[in-house]
Amino acid sequence: MKKTINPRLLGLLLLIVIAAGTGIIYQMTAGKKEPIRLTGYLGGEKIGFIEDEEVQEILRDQYGIEIDYSKAGSLDMVILDQEGMDYLFPSSQTALEYYRELKGEPAKSEIILNTPIVLYTHKIVSDVLEEQGIVSEEDGVMYLDMAEMARIITEERSWKEIGLPELYGNVSIDTTDPAKSNSGNMFAGLLANTLNGGVTVDEEALPRILPQLQEVFDKLGYMETSSSDLFSQFLKMGVGAKPIIAGYESQLLEFAVEQPDDFAKIKDDIVMLYPSPTVWSTHIYIALTENGEMAVDGLLDPQVQELAWEKHGFRTSVYSAATDTSGFGVNGLAKDITRVMQMPDYAVMRQIIDSLQ
Amino acid sequence: MRKILKHMSIAAAVFSLMFVLTGCGGSKGELRILSGSENQELEAILEKCEKETGVDIQMTYQGSVDIMRTLKEGGGGYDAVWPASSIWISMGDEQHKVKYAESISTTPVVFGIRKSLAEELGFTQKDVSVKDILAAIDEGKLKFCMTSATQSNSGASAYIGFLNAFLDKEGVITQEDLEDQQMQDELRKFFSGVERSSGSSDWLKEMFLESDYDAMVNYECLIISANKTLTERGEEPLYVVYPYDGLSIADSPLGYLDHGDQEKEEAFLAVQEYLLSEEAQSDIEATGRRTGYGGVSEENKEVFNSDWGIDVDRILSPIPMPDAPVLLAALNLYQTELRKPSLTVYCLDYSGSMYGEGMEQLLDAMYLILDQEEAGQYLLQASSREVDAAVLFDDTVLDMKEVKEPTSEDLMKLYDWISDYPMGGGTDIYNAAIEGLNILRQYDLSEYTPAIILMTDGQSNGMSDFDDFKAAYDAAGLDVPVFSIMFGNAEESQLEELAEYSNGRVFDGRDDLVGAFRSVKGYN
Repeated sequence: MKKTINPRLLGLLLLIVIAAGTGIIYQMTAGKKEPIRLTGYLGGEKIGFIEDEEVQEILRDQYGIEIDYSKAGSLDMVILDQEGMDYLFPSSQTALEYYRELKGEPAKSEIILNTPIVLYTHKIVSDVLEEQGIVSEEDGVMYLDMAEMARIITEERSWKEIGLPELYGNVSIDTTDPAKSNSGNMFAGLLANTLNGGVTVDEEALPRILPQLQEVFDKLGYMETSSSDLFSQFLKMGVGAKPIIAGYESQLLEFAVEQPDDFAKIKDDIVMLYPSPTVWSTHIYIALTENGEMAVDGLLDPQVQELAWEKHGFRTSVYSAATDTSGFGVNGLAKDITRVMQMPDYAVMRQIIDSLQ
Repeated sequence: MRKILKHMSIAAAVFSLMFVLTGCGGSKGELRILSGSENQELEAILEKCEKETGVDIQMTYQGSVDIMRTLKEGGGGYDAVWPASSIWISMGDEQHKVKYAESISTTPVVFGIRKSLAEELGFTQKDVSVKDILAAIDEGKLKFCMTSATQSNSGASAYIGFLNAFLDKEGVITQEDLEDQQMQDELRKFFSGVERSSGSSDWLKEMFLESDYDAMVNYECLIISANKTLTERGEEPLYVVYPYDGLSIADSPLGYLDHGDQEKEEAFLAVQEYLLSEEAQSDIEATGRRTGYGGVSEENKEVFNSDWGIDVDRILSPIPMPDAPVLLAALNLYQTELRKPSLTVYCLDYSGSMYGEGMEQLLDAMYLILDQEEAGQYLLQASSREVDAAVLFDDTVLDMKEVKEPTSEDLMKLYDWISDYPMGGGTDIYNAAIEGLNILRQYDLSEYTPAIILMTDGQSNGMSDFDDFKAAYDAAGLDVPVFSIMFGNAEESQLEELAEYSNGRVFDGRDDLVGAFRSVKGYN
């Protein structure tokens, strides 16, 4: 297939390569020093944010760092081999507490982003749930009654029974593996609270709740380990494959900004349901090394925080100042997240995780 | 800055010139992708991708279980993985090397049944369940082909669907369910209706097209592809049945294997971006795969022909997959207990030229199959009711041995016997294959998945020729594939002739004999 290159052309080529090389050296000596390259474990839902060219540019030019990553679940990353890693960037307080338990106080930790846990579904499902009185609308925002939903799942009602003969099997919510990934873990915490009569589960209440919780999760079978994979399957595989999933509010917002053409195609079918109440996912950056610490200021840079909201849908410090939700063009996006409850504390979550493994 | 830019643009111009000069990819390096066989159909699109991106794409095809294993070991020398379903990445990527995994297209696993037969069975008029299909099999009205559940994603997915149906479960199956004896008995009976098995979905389709079977379990996209060929030939197409109680969907994720090479990463992203571009997605859709978010596009509507039972508006509601330990236990159960037992005659070349490396490799390969611990690693264990025979040959049949309903010890004894046997003289593959047929004739082949596996490194130069084999094959009246593994100076045309006549296949063991051997075993 390959043809030989004319020797004269080769000479020209060599000349140009040398010239280009000189150019690069010129740039290196005249320009800034090389940015420091950080590597660590990142929750899948933040990949879009970390890979955002504008974010990268600010981090590189103003903070002298470049962030590389390996994708890992929030809890998984705590126990993975951290040799050579500068940071962990999980999606919850639980992961930080878990880290503290295993390895002690990290070099530094800081909350960078927030986003509430939501459920995503399709129009036909949400309509039926509304008829059943499980979903209700308020100021254009759809809320899901968690207690009622939990009841239907534990009673093993089939989709057919609640008015969706198009779907096979029992009513369920797909989540990521609660022992490995945060969105699934938080959903488990939320469900535990719900089963506890809407009160945050404490160690005393836990033994009563656990068997029911286990029962629900046993019915889910194979679970994805990454929130981003689950979300993308939800969007692509249609209502039959994943009728309802648990995820982050930021995921649909980011999708709407990053893939406007694709979003336009599904906009009217995808429904975002806010569990009532819901829980906040707090994305905490944990620095493991001195280099790792360098990223904290960069990630909290006002411009970076603004980009995090406007392009990736994370509610940040910026968000409270400008509650403009219209920019996304996402139906049913809540201005404020008001119906929120506390996640169970770490000791309780630990037991929940262990029991679901 | 301007100066640099100028240099850069000249450099870029030169690079693009080189690209034109060399005529095909390569200027942005090579990307080695470990992929499921169903993607073989995308090669024209991948060539286009090479032209657009300048990345030289090297595809290696393996079954899903092998891809999972490779991932467990850190991904081998590959830069990317592209299995049929993301479940294999989740289960295999223990070292967290996979990045940017994204679904390229989706396709459900379905039954394709000869249209007139589907009509006769009443499957074209109503929603069909796995149980309806089972009833047809039970009454002897339907036989089908499927891939191995332990080697291929489509086979594994279909098998989990069957398990659910036999257990009469709408929810996810558990470890306890797998121990259900009645289910085991029923499934064993069910799998006895499997006419031919295959290690990979694409080859199942090829095999199907070369014979006249009634039905196959395969991806919707490969049924579409088969139907294109069938209609071109003026033959009857297959009718697609979506069993509502046993359906699964393959999501074909392409992920990068991060070994810390920046250039590879960029090459990967360029390739992935191209494959997800509107142009490539439309090309991929035209092959019968479902792409994008908004359903099938107008321009490709015709590909999804409703006369073939293909229904793109139907809501596909797959059964839940069990979690990893249960899934692996289910696969082991299939391999050792439920699948139709294999009846394999290994014809092993013991001619003088095998001396040295050839014999070492042959023994490695046999060890992999006969040592049950080793075989278990690849989900290639023997089942309790299978039969294994070895024919050692040069230009004569040197000796042979049969092991019926083997135990681990029996198989090890067979290995020891093989490995101690002295080598002979010339080579006669036909004579050996005929001997294989003679062994097979003693059995009721409807109870087994039979095969002759011929391993040879040389040209046949003995007394018998292909016509002798043909005569013996026709006289025996058996539907038995001859799989050949060639290495050394094997004469490919001789082996191809055997494969074609018997609807078998030739595997190239020259680079990786053990790998080739594993692929063959996936076929029975």
